Amino acid sequence: MATSDVSAYGMSGETGGLFIRQTSGLVRELGIPAAVGISLASVAVVNTFINFNAGLTAFPKSDMYLPLLAGAIIWLAAMFAYRYLLRAVPRAGGEYVYLSRIVSPVVGSIAGLGIAVVFTYILSTNAHFAAAFTPFMLSGLGSVFHSSAIANAANSVTSDAWVFGLSLIVMVIVAALSLSSVKLVARIIFGLILLQLIAFVVLIIVLAASSRSDFVSALATYSHHPGAYQAIISAGKASGVAFGTSIASMIAIIPFMVLNYNGVLYSYYVGGELRRPGRTYLYASVVSIVVLVVLWGGVWALLRARVGLPFMQAQANLGAADPTVYGKITNLNSVAGGLGYGMILTSNPIAKLLFATAVPLAEIAVNLAFVTVTTRVLFAQAFDRLLPVRVAKVGERNHAPNVAIAIVVIVGAGFCYLTSFVNLSNIVALQSLFMALVLLAGGVAAAFLASRRPELLTTGTGGSEAERQAFLRKVTIVGVLTTVLALFTIFEILSHTSVYGKFSAESIVTLLVVLGAGPVIYLIARAIRRQRNSLDLSLAMHELPPE
Amino acid sequence: MPGFRQGKKRRVLRLFFATDLHGSEVCFRKFLAAAKVYEPDVLILGGDFAGKGLLPVLRRGESWSARLDGQELVVPLADYGRLEADITRRGFYPVQVTAEELDRLNSDRDLLDDLFRDQIRAQARRWCDLVSERLDPRIRCIITPGNDDPVAADEIFEASERVEFPSFRVCDLGPFAMASLGMVPYTPWNTERECSEEELTKLIDEMLAPLSADAKCILNFHSPPYSSTLDDAPELDSTLKPVIRGGRPSIVPVGSHAVRAAIRKYQPVVALHGHIHESRGVQKIGRTLCINPGSDYSSGVLRGAVVDLAEDGTCLDFLLTTG
Repeated sequence: MATSDVSAYGMSGETGGLFIRQTSGLVRELGIPAAVGISLASVAVVNTFINFNAGLTAFPKSDMYLPLLAGAIIWLAAMFAYRYLLRAVPRAGGEYVYLSRIVSPVVGSIAGLGIAVVFTYILSTNAHFAAAFTPFMLSGLGSVFHSSAIANAANSVTSDAWVFGLSLIVMVIVAALSLSSVKLVARIIFGLILLQLIAFVVLIIVLAASSRSDFVSALATYSHHPGAYQAIISAGKASGVAFGTSIASMIAIIPFMVLNYNGVLYSYYVGGELRRPGRTYLYASVVSIVVLVVLWGGVWALLRARVGLPFMQAQANLGAADPTVYGKITNLNSVAGGLGYGMILTSNPIAKLLFATAVPLAEIAVNLAFVTVTTRVLFAQAFDRLLPVRVAKVGERNHAPNVAIAIVVIVGAGFCYLTSFVNLSNIVALQSLFMALVLLAGGVAAAFLASRRPELLTTGTGGSEAERQAFLRKVTIVGVLTTVLALFTIFEILSHTSVYGKFSAESIVTLLVVLGAGPVIYLIARAIRRQRNSLDLSLAMHELPPE
Repeated sequence: MPGFRQGKKRRVLRLFFATDLHGSEVCFRKFLAAAKVYEPDVLILGGDFAGKGLLPVLRRGESWSARLDGQELVVPLADYGRLEADITRRGFYPVQVTAEELDRLNSDRDLLDDLFRDQIRAQARRWCDLVSERLDPRIRCIITPGNDDPVAADEIFEASERVEFPSFRVCDLGPFAMASLGMVPYTPWNTERECSEEELTKLIDEMLAPLSADAKCILNFHSPPYSSTLDDAPELDSTLKPVIRGGRPSIVPVGSHAVRAAIRKYQPVVALHGHIHESRGVQKIGRTLCINPGSDYSSGVLRGAVVDLAEDGTCLDFLLTTG
């Protein structure tokens, strides 16, 4: 029997640390840099332009500094909640595992199914974003390759039918890539993330190297309209766009900025591999959030300085409210935001290519990662007998979960159809809502942690009972705070019908399907099994007494 | 044996299988408690029962102190039981030492190995006693080793009158025959029960080939079959650090080709596996239901599988459990 040469926790001080036998599976070697890499790679950084644009469209009198900061604070609170959850349940898991373990197995199962459906919906909206950006991509490619045919094609692919068709193509590409080996998929994701980051950095350089007058003249040249810049602002004024800033708008826009950070805490998904999970996760998350606040805040400052807030406000709203008037002034895609500004400011074809393809490629990367996560959630449901076991079946040839991928793509295609043809609501708002609900699940799990499973939280045996009670109270407070912040985010989305859209029959049905799928499937599965006299599902998560 | 009708098939055997407890006292107690909750006929504890860590507890005047998770744990002498419970809950062995003994442990690897071995054997004895005390005599308790278990602990279980230890043997489970094997293909950790795929094939054939063609067989092989999703583990580099690809740890299959081939060849009713804690799941390979219940021993949570088998040699139902 061999023992390792190092103590897992060092041998500092007079008291010895833990001696570890040389046994299999003791990994826990991911340090802070690796965890930061995981967190940052999980955030689609270029999507910030979608959210800036969606925010300015819904709340014209917004400035992004405060919302970016508020979004970061919400994630920081959530970070502490997840830190305690990770400490209590150090294995990789997520909200499904936390809720199962801490609140109730049934609640966990329900949340698991809900999360699977939500993730599938997000897959479809990501595909929709990629499709909506295709015109911008084509006009960019047309400019790079000096092809009027490609550039003109941009105007032909804007109808709902085209957007649906393009969304489907994105879903099929993602499905086809997902059927490859895990290693190949990981390499593709890595390559796409790298391209996205390069595009982001190049855009910062282009903006930093330009001036306001450079932008004004570039827009004039691109639009074949010498006064395009001022014309857009004037047309905005004429159509009633509200300029300036207001605190109320900045508060209302916070949910979009919360969505911006989605993924920044994802190193907890690999909790089992982190060295000293609680500490590594905490430092990595703080570093990642600070990097993103500085990066996005800096980009926003650059956009304000180079493009100007009145122009961005006018462009976002005029493009959405009166596309005909907007189209007469310029053919610069109004939803492209910063990437569009970069496109017209640079003459470098490689930079143009990067800007044109950044969003579609980023969405494909995000969707590839989401397919992996969603199929894993489906697996967990199948293993808990809530879904047929064949859902988790792995192909003999490609060793990929073909059935689960097919389910995700088919359901995702259905959501693509609804997103394209049915007025569900503002897609970004709906995504924000779902992400806030996932955050709420984490907050609730943390809020119940100290009361339901105090034995999972050790403070160090040396502490007095009073200290332990104080620690447990702190955990509960952090959980409650995260829950309250998630509820605030949900309230902000639902209470602004101008953003979310008034509830329609379709949007309510879709919400019910997405959020109600979990309990319905659980009840059906349980009833069927009872009827067949099979093993009772409630046994699956029965708490066993150790004594 | 109580049976019930399920459609046209009658249940003749219910198994409860858990694995990879790695010295967790609380999980082992839950394992025994599972007999009352799931009402199995046989409790099976797959491999890797031995703990991984040993924590020196130093006496300093009127207190005990230990260092865990970077924290100094200090308790009065009278509260040693509380400290011990905290340490054993995580599957570590608390050992009272003096400063001099600690120095020796730091410098003498052989001494440390001996201490580990003694602790594992002592725990095996305690567990055998617990089985005798707590488990309903009508329920069989089978424990088999895994690659992380020292061979020196085998004799403790073999000597037990209450625990069955059919390592590398076929044992009789009523209408079924269960073959158990703790060996796994080579790992980067060079543990005690590893061999090549060729040797593994030979060992498996030695056990299974003598069985008659119509034998209803269950496999209790610690290693899961290769590329079955029951064997997904982080890919490691030469320094045993996880490889990161695309912002995520790269996950690769690490199961056994020999085990997969054996399942294809012998088509047992059920194959029970462990070894890869995070790869909890179920897969069908041909007609065989392959199960890895996973392990969450460090959280004090017992993961397991209840499997109902029918008199015609088929699997009636199963449920992965978390308790």
